[in-house]
Amino acid sequence: MAENFVVVRDLYKSFKDVIAVNGVSFSIEEGEIFGLLGPNGAGKTTTIRILSTVIPPDKGDVIIGGYSLQKEANNIRGIIGICPQELALYPDMSAFDNLVFFGRMAGLSSQEAREQAIANLEMMGLLERAKKSRVDKFSGGMKRRVNLAIALMGHPRLLFLDEPTIGIDPQSRNNIYETIKGLQAKGMTILYTTHYMEEADKLCQRVAIMDSGKIVAMGTPEALKSQFGDPDKITLEEVFLKITGRSLRD
Amino acid sequence: MKKILFIALKEVISFLRDKGDLSFSLVLPIAIFALIYGAFGSSLQFSGTAYIVNEDPGGRYTDLFLQRLSENPGLSLMQISAASAERKLARSDIQMVVEIPPGFSENLKNGRSTSLIFKQRGNGGTDGQIIAGLVRAAADSISRELLAVAQVKDAVANIGIEQQQIEMTVQKFLVEEQTSPVLTIGETLTGDRPEPVNQFLPGVVTMFVLFSVNLTAQALVEERRKGTLERLLTTRLKISELFIGKFLAYTMRGFIQTMILLALAYAVFRIFTPVSFLAAMVVALVFAAAASSIGIIIGSLARTENQATWIAVFFTMLMVTLSGTFMPVSEGSLLGRLSKFALNTYANDAFRTLITEGGSLLATSGIAGHGWSSCSGYVDQPAGLPRCPGREVGWISSERSGFLPLTI
Repeated sequence: MAENFVVVRDLYKSFKDVIAVNGVSFSIEEGEIFGLLGPNGAGKTTTIRILSTVIPPDKGDVIIGGYSLQKEANNIRGIIGICPQELALYPDMSAFDNLVFFGRMAGLSSQEAREQAIANLEMMGLLERAKKSRVDKFSGGMKRRVNLAIALMGHPRLLFLDEPTIGIDPQSRNNIYETIKGLQAKGMTILYTTHYMEEADKLCQRVAIMDSGKIVAMGTPEALKSQFGDPDKITLEEVFLKITGRSLRD
Repeated sequence: MKKILFIALKEVISFLRDKGDLSFSLVLPIAIFALIYGAFGSSLQFSGTAYIVNEDPGGRYTDLFLQRLSENPGLSLMQISAASAERKLARSDIQMVVEIPPGFSENLKNGRSTSLIFKQRGNGGTDGQIIAGLVRAAADSISRELLAVAQVKDAVANIGIEQQQIEMTVQKFLVEEQTSPVLTIGETLTGDRPEPVNQFLPGVVTMFVLFSVNLTAQALVEERRKGTLERLLTTRLKISELFIGKFLAYTMRGFIQTMILLALAYAVFRIFTPVSFLAAMVVALVFAAAASSIGIIIGSLARTENQATWIAVFFTMLMVTLSGTFMPVSEGSLLGRLSKFALNTYANDAFRTLITEGGSLLATSGIAGHGWSSCSGYVDQPAGLPRCPGREVGWISSERSGFLPLTI
């Protein structure tokens, strides 16, 4: 059995009167794709922002790769990559320049950053237009792929993917799936959030369903499905709706 | 350190690559300068209109006063009604009116003291002050003449000379005095005309560098909005490294902008010596760095791009106003004291010192005065401008009788 690469214990985070994360605990094994699912406002993105050292938790312990979030945040930054929900790139620069820039910020040398940028762009099927066009001239799917390629700069051991396939065509989505599977095969640990349950079912070894800042269910997709019926007949989306309800969320 | 330089380099390359941004930031200051030069450069000689409310039409001394006034080059006279004057003053259409009161000529003829009246908004504005000076000069000349006649009449009162003959004789002497005056004013010209480039270039340069405060602030806020700031925070980049990188980039940007403008001024107008040009570069660098720092502070405080824009615009306008870039600021006033806190005050003065005196950096240190004076316009302008309204004017007076024929 693989060791836990991420351990989260009793995590809390509030913004004024709103409790965004309310006592969340989970662990992710090394090389595992772990899905964090939940309706809008469930606390998924806040959890990712805490784990990726952007905001501090109010309470709780987080260990990533053996480093304590509270005490060794800078070491954690050296082993993580993040692909945020919103496109976080420089639209007036080429894809290649974006990757090289973030590679340099991740601590790579100029030569390493260039080599890795080319490798990542090739993997994402973007090499042809990588140097010629500014990113703002790219299609939505291409921008998403650049967003993911940037996250891979610096050879992270843990990758946070916050809805990486939102609003893109099936081809780009498929490319991202293939890339994620390839990264897992190389031993990368991935924390994945998505609203597409089919996607989570296909990619994730385990999922946790969050609602109102709490984890309300956790396990393999098969195990969760079997709690509500025949796993071959029921979908993860149906399980999700049974657990989180059908009321609309803000 | 490498990360800082890489951030700065990325920003500068982005600036240089964006042709629209580049051309606006460089062409706009040149265009604005050309506009100001066109508007003021060719007409620094005074040109204005004196608005007169004439309540004594056809009077002998009224006509004489108006004739004297109209003899001033560049000054045109416009007679308006009292009601129209009130309305125009109330609407700020005009800043000052000279009123000739009823019985003006009759009083002077009979040796009674009389007054011209200035009606003005505030200090009457720069033009109003100049016109006030010209009005005083015209009134003064009439007053002197009347006084001379009165003194001669007194002196020869018992000899039995006719009144008319006295007046004719005195008039003859006055004409002679005008033809060959005892006291004259000589003029020494420095340059062939007042130099608008010297006056306006520093203001235009510093104003545009200050506009970059907004760009610096925007850059930080944009970084936050795009999510790249958050992404950068997940790398090992320190927030201080990011700030310093941005600071260097926008300092360089401001410096490049200033350098091109100053180089253009050097090449076209020949206003620098090689030494003063290099010194101006150093001043430009320091000023760009100061502006960039302020932009970073605004960018850190503002939560949205709109907030950053408004704070930066407010700050820029405040600095431009306080420094007297285009409008005079009186040294002793509250604004004058506040101007000591305006970046532009120091930059403008430093540039002006370098341009007008061709001086070294040492000559620019410790300067915190203004290029403008509220009373006399630009201090480097040729002398001869009038005194401030409201200040006591040294009118001629008779020791014998204290008679002041014409006052204001």
